Amino acid sequence: MKQKKDVRQGTLALMVLKTLGVLGPLHGYGIARRIEQISGDLLFVNQGTLYPVLLRLEQEGAIASEWGPSENNRRARFYRLTRAGNKLLDSEKRDWERTAAIIARFFEVKAEDLP
Amino acid sequence: MSALSRFLARLRNFAIGRRGDRRLREEMEEHVALQTEENLRAGMLPAEARRRALLKLGAVETVREQYHAEEGLPLAENLLHDTRYALRQLRKSPGFTIVAILSLGLGIGANTAIFSLLDAILLRNLPVVSPRQLVLFGRGRWVGAVDGMPDRSWDLFSYPFFREFSARNHVYSGVAAIDSIEFGTHASLDGGPKWLSHIDLVSGNFFDVLGVHAALGRTLASDDDRAPGAGPVAVASYGWWVRRGLTPSVLGSTVRIESTNYTIVGIAQRGFFGTTVGQAPDFWIPLSMEKDISPGWNGLADKDFQSLYLIARRRRGVTVAQAAAATNALFSQIIRSEYLGDNPSPKDLAALSHAKIELTPAARGLSQLRLQMSLPLKILMAVVALVLLIACVNIANLLLARGVARSHEIAVRMALGAGRPRIVAQLLTESALLAAAGAVVGIALSWKAAALLLHLASGQARPVPVDATPHLDVLLFTIILSACTTLLFGMVPALRATGGVGAPSLKEARGAISSPTRNRLGRTLVVSQIALSLVLLAGAGLFLHSLLRLTDVDTGFDKQNVLVFGLDEYAAGYEQDSRLAGLQRRIEDRVQALPGVRAASFSMFTFNEGAWSDPVIVRDVPRTPGNGHDVLYNVVGDRYFAAFGLPILAGRGFNRHDDGHAPQVAVINETMAKRFFPGISPIGHRFGIGNDPSHSGDIEIVGVVKDAKYVALSEQPQMAAYFPWTQHLQYFSNFSVRYSGEPGAVITEVRGAIAQVDPRVMVSNASTLAAQVRASIGSEQLIAELSAFFAVAATLLVCMGVYGLMSFAVARRTREMGVRIALGATRSSVQWMILKEILTLAGVGLLIGVPVSLAGTNLVLKLQDPRLMSRVLYGVGPFDPASVSAALCLMILVATLSGFLPARRASRVDPMQALRAE
Repeated sequence: MKQKKDVRQGTLALMVLKTLGVLGPLHGYGIARRIEQISGDLLFVNQGTLYPVLLRLEQEGAIASEWGPSENNRRARFYRLTRAGNKLLDSEKRDWERTAAIIARFFEVKAEDLP
Repeated sequence: MSALSRFLARLRNFAIGRRGDRRLREEMEEHVALQTEENLRAGMLPAEARRRALLKLGAVETVREQYHAEEGLPLAENLLHDTRYALRQLRKSPGFTIVAILSLGLGIGANTAIFSLLDAILLRNLPVVSPRQLVLFGRGRWVGAVDGMPDRSWDLFSYPFFREFSARNHVYSGVAAIDSIEFGTHASLDGGPKWLSHIDLVSGNFFDVLGVHAALGRTLASDDDRAPGAGPVAVASYGWWVRRGLTPSVLGSTVRIESTNYTIVGIAQRGFFGTTVGQAPDFWIPLSMEKDISPGWNGLADKDFQSLYLIARRRRGVTVAQAAAATNALFSQIIRSEYLGDNPSPKDLAALSHAKIELTPAARGLSQLRLQMSLPLKILMAVVALVLLIACVNIANLLLARGVARSHEIAVRMALGAGRPRIVAQLLTESALLAAAGAVVGIALSWKAAALLLHLASGQARPVPVDATPHLDVLLFTIILSACTTLLFGMVPALRATGGVGAPSLKEARGAISSPTRNRLGRTLVVSQIALSLVLLAGAGLFLHSLLRLTDVDTGFDKQNVLVFGLDEYAAGYEQDSRLAGLQRRIEDRVQALPGVRAASFSMFTFNEGAWSDPVIVRDVPRTPGNGHDVLYNVVGDRYFAAFGLPILAGRGFNRHDDGHAPQVAVINETMAKRFFPGISPIGHRFGIGNDPSHSGDIEIVGVVKDAKYVALSEQPQMAAYFPWTQHLQYFSNFSVRYSGEPGAVITEVRGAIAQVDPRVMVSNASTLAAQVRASIGSEQLIAELSAFFAVAATLLVCMGVYGLMSFAVARRTREMGVRIALGATRSSVQWMILKEILTLAGVGLLIGVPVSLAGTNLVLKLQDPRLMSRVLYGVGPFDPASVSAALCLMILVATLSGFLPARRASRVDPMQALRAE
């Protein structure tokens, strides 16, 4: 059985930013759906936790939101990346890649490789 | 950047009270709807599709809470809620609230007031540029003029020395001189009415050295101080200018002081009061005008006339040690070259080797007031700190009782999931509110109290010009103080109510029988309160006892029915010669002839006005350790002894024939007679002033008069000699009148009589000798009265503490009492049971308090110079059995009284009612 794990808030925020960066404006459900698809249904026990993160990002100025019609023609709140959000995404991405690379190197190193 | 914008967004939401609840609900509903459609497309039944969708969204309430916490400022919001809740709680029990706020207000106010005084007198820097660079030569202990060459640390310097030193020094950027005497003299502005003004004589560079600017016009310049009489100009103080109505036109106007006109050239910078804390001159006048201000002096030319303080500003980079070394080196050079001459005697050389200049930091200025008030202020500070501590303990006790009463509520809330920190924060909010209200009351109380206290302590008619309104640092002190108070009395009850061993459980919260552990904290608090108040009471008893002894002191003279007038003969334009003597004779005779007057006389001193003293050399009597001390001199009129009620014990007093042409005579007191002429009559013997044997035959002793107190009530018997004024011509400011009947009428008559003799002679003030004696012990009286007041206040707090604790205990034990009475306990035995408990508490408190107060006085004795202590305590040792036992009795009485009501209530419990109550 696949075990689901809750994502950490910071990671979730990064995923939200990336999703909006790739797909353009989306509502909350769309963002959750997309993250679920990419992570292979592995993440997210409670999709509701997405909303406090969205609010936080909005208050930080990284994303902006407005009402718009959803697929079934009801009102939904659409989120989009702002210019500040774009910058934030870039720098977060670099940070993440650097960290990942370092961690990866640690896992690759074997005892005999060390001088 | 993003953190800031996030905070601002939160702050905005918090401020406008925005809640995004609707938006969140709508978003989540849409989320569920979209998910449901997705599920339906996957082939689920509608009900199942919606259930799965909701499951996937998770716990809605948690999300809402997180969302809300993210949205606003949860901490601030909680604080607001807590404050509202606490206000409601406090309003529900107004009695408790008022008692708590008033006792805290008293404690904080008293602390703030005393600290304001401490700050103004002991701590605050002078309002000048870089005060830390300033040093004072010597320690500023002496006021007046000395001559000869002191063989110790010098405090006063002559004008020629000041000039020489300034010219040759390299370590100071400037040296300023200030006359140690603040002159009080009559002045008139542009020919207007005369008023008593205060004047500081300073060197021309005084303002430059201090870095004090002019608010208007200019300050003094070195040129004003160029040559004697060169600078008939004055700089007025800002305070005087404000009293005069703040018109710039005052610049250039003429102020006439004595017989010289001075042009006002400037107003000194606002807030500048000179260099002496506790004095506030109206004018600064260049030292070059010394002879015009004080005609008898020749200070500008006489290098032996030392009356100046020197204050210097260190150059940048020069340390105090370097400055001290350079100063003393230059000092020795100048003294050797200018004072000792080419062939110094071995005695002078020995004196020079002991002479030195001690540099003291002058950042806080000079102050006689500081010397006089620092110990009393420190004692009072300790007293009021104790009072505040007691008030805190008292409120902690009351809060504890309330906490127990609310334990059920708190237990329920904790059972419902309220976190402990949250409840502690809420209870602390309540305490903080109390402390804040107390601080407000306290500051309001202290605003005027400080100045009033100082006025009482100085015992002078003129208010002491010290700016004692609380400054920023004082307010900071108050705020820190109230924060500490909150923690002190709020923390323990809050922690007690929410956790730990004594925490109430839900079951127990309505408990019928009080466990002994339950009240242990409350008892401890009451015991410590009793102990602390005992310390205060015993201390107050000590000071009161000492004050009683002081007021009982035999002054020697009869202080009743004597008026002392302050006269200014110099302002009337009399030269110091036979014309002056004629004036004085006419005034004495004219006043003497008034019907209500028994005796009238001029004198140099009356009581507690300083002294002129020197050793004497008596012909044919060798110096002994007993008679080698200084003798106090006074110059008096013929009827001085009659006016002061001092009986002549042998020989005669002065009379008209003791004038300038007759041989010099003196009347000595008993102590001087005893020390120099044990067992023989001193009448007819001769002595001289000073140490020179060639003068030992100058003055003939014609009488012996009864001993009296001269400078202070607490002084030991002093040797004293009186000279007739006709042989020592001088301006007198004291004119004493023994009267009978109504003093008010006598004052008017005397003023009238003096005006008839010469209307130009100013009569500045009239006070009774008794008031002068009372004023001399002003600070002792202040300590005694204030410590008594605070001890009584503390005792009242203890009353409330004991009463509160016991009524609370009785209320909780109503059922127990009911059972006891139902089982046959008599009412008196129940009553005694409660009283016994109180007396046990009091006993323990007193057992702790007695050794603590003894140890406290012992500690004070060890820390303080015993000589200083004797300035506060007179005639009683620090271990005074009378005051300790009085305090003990009072405390037992108070404890019994305040426990009596609860005990009676306990004995009146109706068993049926008590059992039904549960």
